[in-house]
Amino acid sequence: MNSAPALVLEAVTKRYATVTAVDRLDLQVPAGTIFGLLGPNGAGKTTTLRMILRILLPDEGCIRIFGRALDDSAQDLTGYLPEERGLYPRMVVREILTFLGTLKGLSGAEARRRTDLWLERLGIAGWAQSRVQELSKGMQQKVQLIASLLHDPPLLVLDEPFMGLDPVNARMVQDCLLELHARGTTLILSTHRMDQVEMLCDAICLLHHGRAVLSGNLRSIKQSYGKNTLVLEFDGQAGGYDLTPFASRIAHHGRVVELRLRPGMDHRSVLHFLLQQGAPVTRFELVEPSLQDIFIETVQTAHA
Amino acid sequence: MRKLARIIWREYWTRLRSRTFVLSTLGLPLVMTASLALPLWIASRQSRHPMRIALVDGTGRMAQELARALEQTQGRGPRLNVGELIERPASLPAMRDQLRKAVLERRLDGFLIVPDDAVSTGRAEFAARNPSDPLLTETLTQALTRVLLLERLREKHLSLDDATLFTTPVRLGLFKIVGATEAEEHGQTILPAVFLATVLYATLLMYGMTTMRAVIEEKSSRIMEILLSSVRPIWLLAGKILGVGAVGLTQYLIWATAGAILTAYAKFAAQMLSPGARMPRLNIPLEVWIWLVVFFLGGYLLYASLYAAVGAAVSSEQDAAQIQMPVTTLVIASFVLFIPVMQNPASTTSVVLSEIPFFSPILMLLRISLETPPLWQIVLAVLLLALTTAGTVYIAARIYRVGVLVYGKRPSVMEILRWVRYS
Repeated sequence: MNSAPALVLEAVTKRYATVTAVDRLDLQVPAGTIFGLLGPNGAGKTTTLRMILRILLPDEGCIRIFGRALDDSAQDLTGYLPEERGLYPRMVVREILTFLGTLKGLSGAEARRRTDLWLERLGIAGWAQSRVQELSKGMQQKVQLIASLLHDPPLLVLDEPFMGLDPVNARMVQDCLLELHARGTTLILSTHRMDQVEMLCDAICLLHHGRAVLSGNLRSIKQSYGKNTLVLEFDGQAGGYDLTPFASRIAHHGRVVELRLRPGMDHRSVLHFLLQQGAPVTRFELVEPSLQDIFIETVQTAHA
Repeated sequence: MRKLARIIWREYWTRLRSRTFVLSTLGLPLVMTASLALPLWIASRQSRHPMRIALVDGTGRMAQELARALEQTQGRGPRLNVGELIERPASLPAMRDQLRKAVLERRLDGFLIVPDDAVSTGRAEFAARNPSDPLLTETLTQALTRVLLLERLREKHLSLDDATLFTTPVRLGLFKIVGATEAEEHGQTILPAVFLATVLYATLLMYGMTTMRAVIEEKSSRIMEILLSSVRPIWLLAGKILGVGAVGLTQYLIWATAGAILTAYAKFAAQMLSPGARMPRLNIPLEVWIWLVVFFLGGYLLYASLYAAVGAAVSSEQDAAQIQMPVTTLVIASFVLFIPVMQNPASTTSVVLSEIPFFSPILMLLRISLETPPLWQIVLAVLLLALTTAGTVYIAARIYRVGVLVYGKRPSVMEILRWVRYS
């Protein structure tokens, strides 16, 4: 690949009858990165993905992938795992994968060869001659994933790739994605699972009402918030201590409590207070805020 | 274009191997054969049980002759068995009561009364539990007419030979003028016309709806998004329509081949059993076959694109049932208009109707096979059909590209019209 960004959106707008789903969105995804497209339900994520895949055409603005305008032939450069999974239920697994591969420009023989390779790789080679409807949900999920990456696209778009997978299969899929990443594939990930975004993504864009409210490198975003979050763990229940004088936000997770310190507040005064109360604190750590926290705060601020 | 070929091929190949295709390919000829053979079978069963009737002859001169005429009838009506012959009964009302009782007790199926003045008045009466069977009436009337006529001639002292000469009916030969030649008509004009129009009607409806169901299937299985991330919606639509159309042509081909083999076999068998026997022939000229293919393709593309648009607009077949009504009505209307056009293929009404693109596939083909209309009328119909088809394909493609991504509530007609302008 050349050095051009994998994906560039410039002032892209998409309107439906009554709403503006995507509003003058600018986006840049460097080649070879894993990029997280986040946002609450109805923020315009799916519409944005569909425009990137040329399923929908933008009303205004322009989209380029790897430096070239997005036209029909550019569709072969992208692979898509949509959130609404779907295959022809009565078709045989090997045939449907071969068919979808050829629709992305592969020859019939090449599509068959790669299909067999991937079915083997994901441990479902024994089901190659079964009909899709005979497969379990997890297996269908894997078939769907193969369909999106069979033609080895330089840009792979995945909407909730781990949905409905057990931990073993989720692991298998994640290894797959990391391997593609290591080979230089650019991945765009849309998910509500913030822990996965923190683990996998290099950069993110947070959409809200069709606009980017937060975007950039994940590390620098988190650093910009500074180490102003206190994680406390208690032996037993964490309730019963009024920490509101110290914190602007408090999140309870059972035995663990996350505090966002008020500006100018020294974290040691919290420790001092808790020790005075005789609280059974087993963990006291100053960290950057979690992406989950940043997500919620950003969306709520945007609402206000 | 290679992607389009892939889509057509998948549509064609999976459909060809499906159970539906096998069943409909075998089923339709079976149903057609059954609908022809069943009435024959029922008729043959009836003839095995002839009607037992009594004959009351008030004149006392023609009972034997009439009984023979009734029993030897060659018509399509039920066979008759004259079990009782009563000449000049002492009391007609008493005899009537007696016979009525016999009918009620099912010893008889009916009785025919020829009054003593029948020769001059030409009146007779028949009584049965169900006397209104038109075939039975025809049989009775024919036998009575013939015997009474002979009796009248005899009263005028004419010989039986003269009488036979007088009563020989006219046989009218029918000739169809085609170009500079004439061909003797044995129903070979009307039969193929009805046959071709019926086949066209059935296949337009069947394959139009198949296209609609195929689109709904892709929508409801949610594979549409993946397909659209690979190819333009117009290619998907085109692939769907052409793939299903190819299945239709394949089915035609299978039927035509099977039909040709069966006909050849029947001819061979007929020659073996009774040499020199003439088979009724369905003579369809080559140009009519060519027009059939032209109008099938035009009509199919027209209706399939409309049905595909309906399929794209809805999310389930239940929703489709309502929204497809206008399209289906158009197909059925052209079949209903079939009869007035058949009766008067050259009238202004027929000419105008057969030029309307939604009707022309069936009605123009009907006119072509009945009597060759001026070439300009055929060409005009084909042009209008092609233009309209281009229009419906364009509109259907626009409805399709918006509709296939819309799920949930059935859209109103206004919404669908907005989709056409949008995108």
